Amino acid sequence: MKSMARLFTGFIASLLEAWQELRIHKLRVLLSLVGVTIAVASLTTAVAGASVAQQLMTEQLERSGRPALINTYAFNQRSDDLPAADAAVTEAFKKTTERFDVEYASMVSRASGYRMLHQGTSIDPELLVADPAYASIHRLFAQYGRWLEAEDAQNLAPAVVIDRTVAQKLGLDENSLPASVDIDVAGQVVSATVIGATSTRDGGLDGQVWMLPQTYEHWFAAKAPLTDATYEMWVPVENAEELAVHFSAQMRAELPGYQVEAMRSDYLTWGGDENLRMLALVAGGIAGIILLLGSLSLLNVAMVTMKQRIREVGIRRSFGATTGRVFFSVLMESVVATAVAGGIGVLISVAVVTNPKILNMFLGSGIDQMPPFPVGAALAGILISIGVGALTGVLPALVAARVKIVDAIRV
Amino acid sequence: MRDTQLLKLESVTRSVLLPDDSELHILNGINLSVSEGDHIAIVGRSGTGKSTLLNILGLLDRPTTGHLAWRGIDATKLSARRAAHIRGRDLGFVFQQFNLLPGRTALENVMAPLMYATGADFWRRKTLATEALEKVGLGARLDSMPQTLSGGEQQRVAIARALVRRPRVVLADEPTGALDVATGRAVMELLDAATVESGAALITITHDINVAAMAREQFQLDEGTLKPLTLEVTS
Ligand SMILES: Nc1ncnc2c1ncn2[C@@H]1O[C@H](COP(=O)(O)OP(=O)(O)OP(=O)(O)O)[C@@H](O)[C@H]1O
Ligand SMILES: [Mg+2]
Repeated sequence: MKSMARLFTGFIASLLEAWQELRIHKLRVLLSLVGVTIAVASLTTAVAGASVAQQLMTEQLERSGRPALINTYAFNQRSDDLPAADAAVTEAFKKTTERFDVEYASMVSRASGYRMLHQGTSIDPELLVADPAYASIHRLFAQYGRWLEAEDAQNLAPAVVIDRTVAQKLGLDENSLPASVDIDVAGQVVSATVIGATSTRDGGLDGQVWMLPQTYEHWFAAKAPLTDATYEMWVPVENAEELAVHFSAQMRAELPGYQVEAMRSDYLTWGGDENLRMLALVAGGIAGIILLLGSLSLLNVAMVTMKQRIREVGIRRSFGATTGRVFFSVLMESVVATAVAGGIGVLISVAVVTNPKILNMFLGSGIDQMPPFPVGAALAGILISIGVGALTGVLPALVAARVKIVDAIRV
Repeated sequence: MRDTQLLKLESVTRSVLLPDDSELHILNGINLSVSEGDHIAIVGRSGTGKSTLLNILGLLDRPTTGHLAWRGIDATKLSARRAAHIRGRDLGFVFQQFNLLPGRTALENVMAPLMYATGADFWRRKTLATEALEKVGLGARLDSMPQTLSGGEQQRVAIARALVRRPRVVLADEPTGALDVATGRAVMELLDAATVESGAALITITHDINVAAMAREQFQLDEGTLKPLTLEVTS
């Protein structure tokens, strides 16, 4: 009980002593800590930046299809080199996905030869004909309004979802949805309803528009039939390749006279995330070197000033400081100082990483929505600074603890 | 009260090894007994080993041979940790050079020993330190830095610091050595009165016969041994 109380008050007192010591030597502490602050700021920024970049890049990569994505193509004589988009294939795909219990499956086809008109503006976006599951497969969601649903096929007007580019070009915002737009296919104008808008900008200059296959079939196919289509599935990564093999075999059985191919084609199969790991490694390595240099200068200053403080240690020993206490107090000085310096470093890093201008400069892409600062990076920054403080504190603490009282207080 | 023995030295010697491998005998068989309330003065020429003796009495240093007892316990066998705890709780030091902690206010200096205390002493350190400074007449200088205080004031801060944990023994190594005669005398009177009030034993090392005369018992350290001294002072 008594020793617990001693431990507790000893701990608090050590912190107080450390704080006093730092307060007295503000300038020296400040200067010696600049290195640590810079190092922790850059280290945290490297970790956080890499993690933010990774997140953004993953999102971008996943918009080309989340792992595991299986693409299925069916060819016949009439469709030349392009994968066929006829009803037979669509039917066979539907049957086979049901048979294999695939939850997320969508036809994807690009329509051409039409324009989109709204209040005098005419644009030429990419029109994607896809099933509702397309959103899940490509990690898309409607930022405003909603995404396509199967029931939209029965609507009185064709339902479309637009991306951010289209929304901006046509002057549509959150409050104007649902909005009426005109779609001109080979001179025939159909009035369509925009039911939702995504936050993405992945298409060409004029953006992207999505529509259900049934809607396209009903309103536009007569004038401009779809020429080709692929069929996408989002399945668990385990055994995805095996599934592709069985799936294409089954499709072939359903489609005599067709040649069917099914293969996995998400970004993981082509190593789209390699660069990012390199970037994080290089940035972390540089920050590590800065940290090493910063700690060395910290250690140097601590050792030099320790010599001047030997007398003070002797005085404290004379009124009851044990060697353990002296050791701990000096160690705490270093830890408290670097923790504060590291905290400032982390704050600087937060300011940098959550600043859209700076982030865009580094990533070279237009991000509108800032991802939150990764908590892990902030924690890592603080822990690293405490670790550095403990490591650089050990040596001066050892020197202080080994001071012989009689020598220290002799004039 | 006088029969409660605090420190007892029997044939204590202290020698150090010099760089040329020869041995320097500083103390050659010291016998001394310190009881509660004692006021002892030790005089001696420079270099006779007065500070060495005081360090041994204050458990800062150990005898080379001989016996040292602290309240009946063999102090030569105490662990460094136990010795530190005894120093903190029962011993107070006043040095010639004041030895105030630089950069800390008078109050922080007096609070410093309480940082090694536990319980109420630790948690009430500010009150206790303020009271101690008021007792030495420095209640108005709590936030002064040592370098802004006069020598006499600094030594009074040191006295407050030595007494703040109510030690059983106060050890003063030439407490007036850096002060002029009048200031030294005032400081000595303060130290004397404060220890009388708290009941602590006081051991003072001094060059000054007048200072020594204020103690109840005087000894002279000469050639490594302690001899009782009878003073014929006129004051
Ligand atoms: N660790 C040591 N190594 C070498 N010599 C030492 C050591 N400690 C003390 N001495 C020597 O022992 C002698 C006594 O020292 P001490 O400091 O005890 O003297 P003192 O009586 O206090 O002198 P003063 O009145 O000048 O303070 C001195 O000659 C000193 O040089
Ligand atoms: Mg001396």
